[in-house]
Amino acid sequence: MDFLNALVALSNFVIIPAIAYGSQLALGALGVTLIYGILRFSNFAHGDTMAFGAMIGVLVTWFLQSMGVSFGPLPTALLALPFAILGTMALVLITDRVVYRFYREQKAKPVILVIVSMGVMFIMNGLVRFIIGPNDQKFADGERFIISVREFKALTGLKEGLAIKTTQGITVVVAIIAVALLFWFLNRTRTGKSMRAYSDNEDLALLSGINPERVVMYTWLIVAALATTAGVLYGLDKSFKPFVYFQLLLPIFASAIVGGLGSPLGAIAGGFVIAFSEVTITYAWKKVLKYMLPESLEPSSLVQLLSTDYKFAVSFVILIVVLLFKPTGLFKGKSV
Amino acid sequence: MTGNPYQDDRGNKDATIANPKGGGEMTPAVGTGKEMNTTDAFLVGDSMTGGYGKDGPDILHDCTIAVNPGEIAVIVGPNGAGKSTGMKAVFGMLNLRQGSVRLDGEDITSLTPQARVAKGMGFVPQVNNIFTSMTVEENLEMGAFIRTDDFSDTMEQVYGLFPILKEKRNQPAGELSGGQRQQVAVGRALMTQPKVLMLDEPTAGVSPIVMDELFDRIIEVSRTGIPILMVEQNARQALEIADKGYVLVQGRNAYTGTGKDLLADEEVRKSFLGG
Repeated sequence: MDFLNALVALSNFVIIPAIAYGSQLALGALGVTLIYGILRFSNFAHGDTMAFGAMIGVLVTWFLQSMGVSFGPLPTALLALPFAILGTMALVLITDRVVYRFYREQKAKPVILVIVSMGVMFIMNGLVRFIIGPNDQKFADGERFIISVREFKALTGLKEGLAIKTTQGITVVVAIIAVALLFWFLNRTRTGKSMRAYSDNEDLALLSGINPERVVMYTWLIVAALATTAGVLYGLDKSFKPFVYFQLLLPIFASAIVGGLGSPLGAIAGGFVIAFSEVTITYAWKKVLKYMLPESLEPSSLVQLLSTDYKFAVSFVILIVVLLFKPTGLFKGKSV
Repeated sequence: MTGNPYQDDRGNKDATIANPKGGGEMTPAVGTGKEMNTTDAFLVGDSMTGGYGKDGPDILHDCTIAVNPGEIAVIVGPNGAGKSTGMKAVFGMLNLRQGSVRLDGEDITSLTPQARVAKGMGFVPQVNNIFTSMTVEENLEMGAFIRTDDFSDTMEQVYGLFPILKEKRNQPAGELSGGQRQQVAVGRALMTQPKVLMLDEPTAGVSPIVMDELFDRIIEVSRTGIPILMVEQNARQALEIADKGYVLVQGRNAYTGTGKDLLADEEVRKSFLGG
């Protein structure tokens, strides 16, 4: 029995990666939930919006690196983030102008917009692969670890090591800042309140003199910022590959629905629920159990419930369970 | 069926991908394109003929509704008489084929509902008339959205009229009782400091006690000098407080007069007030 080592191993392989992944999912789900609440459809193009934002982030990072600009121990990508956000804002505003606005003017039903967003998804997907190619791209630089395994072992004298990657630390810090800003905006500013009013009751918002096109524009701008931030953080943490963002759509939607569609708080909670479930269920528990159980009971297998290949199945199962027993999600979003 | 393929309702019940809640259903009217002139009421919907949609059947037939400063005008009538429709026509949510709507002498027949709000009309819809997920105070703030000046005075006035709202200012409006919600709805409309207030069945679905209280409040609002035009189901109580009453039948003006006259009128009593 060795609680301390077990705890360290658990933190190293489960808790810290899940918190970082959960933050990325939460940022993604916030974007989905905002579009669902205000434009009233599920935006399937969200994953590829993230990919587009991350792509611009990668390109600007490479450019900055070639110019010899660096951000000290922090990744250069953080310097590139504002540019990437601006680029994505331009893309979504153009998309809205060219595509979605037409359907809004027709007062098209939401389900038609969903199908439209799928078309947009394929186009964005193609655009990203056309520009940067379908392959893995590395763009992380700067210090790799806040604390590495060797340092941790030397510091504590424990048998197990704990590593915190710089990208994981940055992910959490940036996510907290982004969420705080978003909530401040939605609850304290006049524009933010008008967005909530429009989401609540479009007709009454109109009668109150709220300009719907203005609300829609602000929504896209915020969604672009959130999606780009999530995309760049995910790319820094893992690596950038266009197709991965397309696959991320599932856990992101699962997060938004588990939390309750239309509820920003729910999106965050949902992100962490999904991330922790995925990581704990696909983790090989042998190492932790070895410390926790007497020698006679020590497991011979890996004690891995599911191979990591099946991690998206976990999101699916949680999604179905939530839809069966609590259709409005954890935070009383819109009923699904 | 509108025949518009973009409005096909197939698949929209699936809320996993489509969000049917809170979407806009209002279609602004386009006006008749004809200028008309009749009497000089403060707000008048003059000889209005029209119906829903581009070429739906006419619901209103040469119907006239007017309200003067300091007055309460009430529209009553049997179910399906076109009471709410008349109100909507005055507010620009119905396509008029004939007639005009004028506010303070100015023709506003071709204005959208939003533009009419900016002109000084306050409208309280019958249903969905508050932002349920927002606090009472935020509801009032949203009511004052078009105002760029400081509206804290107006908010104090509204709290003065409806003291219960001040008590519940930080509570989500959706958690309030039916009567309180109606007060929020009226308060929201008052935040623009409208020149005329239009209420569509403010007492629908509330208990008789709450109804009496709401009528008292409405009289109080009227005493602040705002002309009020309202549609009411509870004809007798409404006519008691009305300066002017309109009895509509099948989209036509059947009887018009002061509230007292209509209450005293043998025929009106027999046919609409139950004897």
